[in-house]
Amino acid sequence: MATSKHDTPGDAHGHQEPAHYDGHAHGHISVATYYRVFGALMLLMFLTVGAWWLEGVVAIPRLLGVIVALTIASTKTLLIVLFFMHIKVSSRMSQLYAAASLVGLLMLFIVIMGDYFARGWPPQLGPLP
Amino acid sequence: MATTTQTTSAHHGDHGHAAHGPELQHHFETPAQQKEAATLGMWAFLVTEVMLFGGIFLAYAVYRWAFPDVWAEAAHHLNTPLGTVNTVVLLVSSLTVALAVNAAEHGRRTRLLQLLGVTLVLGVAFLGIKAFEYSEKFAHCAGYKTPIAWATGGELLGEQECLVPGRAFAFPAEHGAATEEHASTNKTPHQLFYLLYFIATGLHAVHMLIGLTIVSILTFLAWRGFFTPTYFTPVEIGGLYWHLIDVVWVFLFPLFYLVH
Repeated sequence: MATSKHDTPGDAHGHQEPAHYDGHAHGHISVATYYRVFGALMLLMFLTVGAWWLEGVVAIPRLLGVIVALTIASTKTLLIVLFFMHIKVSSRMSQLYAAASLVGLLMLFIVIMGDYFARGWPPQLGPLP
Repeated sequence: MATTTQTTSAHHGDHGHAAHGPELQHHFETPAQQKEAATLGMWAFLVTEVMLFGGIFLAYAVYRWAFPDVWAEAAHHLNTPLGTVNTVVLLVSSLTVALAVNAAEHGRRTRLLQLLGVTLVLGVAFLGIKAFEYSEKFAHCAGYKTPIAWATGGELLGEQECLVPGRAFAFPAEHGAATEEHASTNKTPHQLFYLLYFIATGLHAVHMLIGLTIVSILTFLAWRGFFTPTYFTPVEIGGLYWHLIDVVWVFLFPLFYLVH
């Protein structure tokens, strides 16, 4: 994942050469890659709308439909975060922060949904009080 | 950091900026380190943003799990074609922002200005479409067919329908025996879907407004020639914010518009 490690603060310590001032010492993502990622994002967008349309025509289990939609959304997110947000060529620390948001979300969902299920969710459907 | 102190004192006469541009703050050793710190700070903020929207997505998960049928019926009344158009608009704007960061990095001022300009137009287009969707829902509550009819006192809506959560909320009656027996209970869960819809897309729209403000400021600074290949950090972290808004929409779109 992380490509260039030569410009971490520890390495740069004591060096003041102009070479360190180029501002993009980390790896680089080319314009061609941006266009390819955009193409993939558009393709995934049409796939998810297509899957939704298909679910309206053919009987597909509802859970499968949700899984397909969320898988496509996660793939799109991964592409945006890795390339558009430069995480692929960022420092280990930035990558850790990006991963931290995923860990935070997992904790939020596992703990709270776990609590709901442990108490019996969904509840008995009936007239609301 | 001993090195920084020595360097600063050595160049005290010119305020310590002799060996580099004026954008390098004294407590950083190199522009790369300064940019790294700024990017990391932005990511820390983005994590809190993810958790903010995460709470809404959690509420969504809890209630969709409980009322899957209600969700499917309720989502049917959202404008999926317009939602799809907005998804395309936002994905294109994400591309223009990514290209703008690249242009700033290479010191291409004209291209940077063009790309930021296109981003602004796309952002405004997204909010315009969103505003139309919202006003359509409000027009239905007022009893009119379209927002234009509402403003001009035109065509009335035949059936009673109000999808804006609140006292006036009225989900249109479905034809069929199955729904009739739930007639007394189906009102509130449908409202739950639309409550989450308005909160989630509303908060997203607020983020779009903030994003547009940021891009406007970046455009102004770029026009003034503020950014150089050695200093374009505001474009970079402003871009990060814009991409986060895009990521949130990537999940909002299938979860609200593409439900069966």
